[in-house]
Amino acid sequence: MRDLQPQLTPLESLRSYTSLFLRSAKAGFAYQASTFTEILTAAFIYAVPMLVWRQVYAQDPTGMPLSKEHMFPYLLLACCVNYSLSMGVEFRLGNRIRSGLIATDLLKPVDFQVSQGVICISDSVFHALLGLSVFFCGFLFLGPAVFPASASSFLMFLASFALAFLIQYGICFIFVQGAFYTYSGYGIFAARGALHQTFSGLSAPLAFYPPFLKSAGDWLPFQHAIHTPVSIYMGWAEGAQALHLLGQQAIWAVGLYFLGKLLLVGSLKQLEVQGG
Amino acid sequence: MRATLELYWQAFSAALQAKFEYRVDFFLGVVTSCMLQSAALAFLFVVFHQTPALGGWSPEQVVLLFGVAATTLGVSELFFNHIWMVPYYVVMGELDRLLTYPVRSLPFLLVTRPELHAFGNLTMGLALSIGALYKLQAPWFAWVLLPMLVLCGGIVYTGALVIFGSLSFKFLGPTAMHLMIPHSLLQATRYPLGIYPGWFQYSLMILVPYGAFNYLPAGFLLGKALSPWLMLAAPTAAVVFLFAAQKTWDWGLSKYESTGS
Repeated sequence: MRDLQPQLTPLESLRSYTSLFLRSAKAGFAYQASTFTEILTAAFIYAVPMLVWRQVYAQDPTGMPLSKEHMFPYLLLACCVNYSLSMGVEFRLGNRIRSGLIATDLLKPVDFQVSQGVICISDSVFHALLGLSVFFCGFLFLGPAVFPASASSFLMFLASFALAFLIQYGICFIFVQGAFYTYSGYGIFAARGALHQTFSGLSAPLAFYPPFLKSAGDWLPFQHAIHTPVSIYMGWAEGAQALHLLGQQAIWAVGLYFLGKLLLVGSLKQLEVQGG
Repeated sequence: MRATLELYWQAFSAALQAKFEYRVDFFLGVVTSCMLQSAALAFLFVVFHQTPALGGWSPEQVVLLFGVAATTLGVSELFFNHIWMVPYYVVMGELDRLLTYPVRSLPFLLVTRPELHAFGNLTMGLALSIGALYKLQAPWFAWVLLPMLVLCGGIVYTGALVIFGSLSFKFLGPTAMHLMIPHSLLQATRYPLGIYPGWFQYSLMILVPYGAFNYLPAGFLLGKALSPWLMLAAPTAAVVFLFAAQKTWDWGLSKYESTGS
């Protein structure tokens, strides 16, 4: 199958990826009502942990690992980063594998893993724009506490966010390999979602975690998708410490990319597409 | 009436048997739904690592709320899950076939796509509810009322999904995101409603009355000085939502246009 593909020059590949990005972005903005309900749903989902923590702080704010003034900006930022990293790659690819449409994706003269990543970038840009409106609403409630600790923190946050995207995509791409082996799209989505929810620091900073849960999370990449970029933004990690975290993110991003590539080879070997 | 119920049961059984053909999917579904519930439990664990009680509710009491919410979800996913496909069917014109069957379209649609991960939510939810009731040394009638509350919960939650799902006939879109609103509201009832702002509490008790089968009866059963009459809230909410769901569905169908050839 691969031998039939024409070889593209780097410039042609770039054009193909740009075109793919623009078309995916247009599709994202096509359904306004759907977008509105998506924001509303996300607001409900993210509001619940915030309201739980609000109650905890109202009961007894003493002895908490973080002050209220740090906790709620963290939660807001974590929600915005998480929302910006939303990508429908599991459902999209799962459906295409089940319906056989994956064959057309594999025939395209571009790298499959990269092209899916480009579509995810458009997902991420779309959600980041919506996430900015959530951030602005948070600003109205929380004030300047939601701004980055310093200009350098913000610059390093941007780098960290880009790496967080690569990590998130890398994890999703690995989990989506499961769709080549099972009929269930839900199982794949749920398994990754459960691990992400537990270990990413989305609902609480890692300082709040019991030691065993935190130690388990240290061995996994999920915290580098949410907790690391937000910590850098908040100025909890600065200078050498922030650079060290960026290095860890980069290692995870590269590792996950190559692991995904390796797994894809095995998945494609056992893929059967029914014709007719 | 009996023949109709038998027909629905046969349709449900056939759909369930078809799903069981995929054994790996069954195993994956159960494991991953347990994982999702565990992830939410982990958050509860983190919270109770910092505080001994939440809004006056002990960890065991909150686990009971959590268990009832999970079991309710499992009941709906097992028996009435097909509503999640409606937005897609409307866009693709795939409801035409259903509408030609000599049955009531809504109940027939609901029972014909059971989800295997429901067994994970059911198992986890029942284990948590039973464990919490045992730990709390709940009175005998709490054990008797639990199945009724869960069944009413399944009906209210499904009713809310049908109401939101019926909007798909009017507002076309390829995703079921709007169905995530009643779903995420159900997740909010894992915690005592008293911790939420007033407007949100009333929404969850009156507009989308999940509190009627979870927070209110649990509060009474756990001796939180609530009236025993609140036990009637769950069946009342179930009847109202059954009626409302059917009416909204009928309204939605009246707006349905097929896709043409």
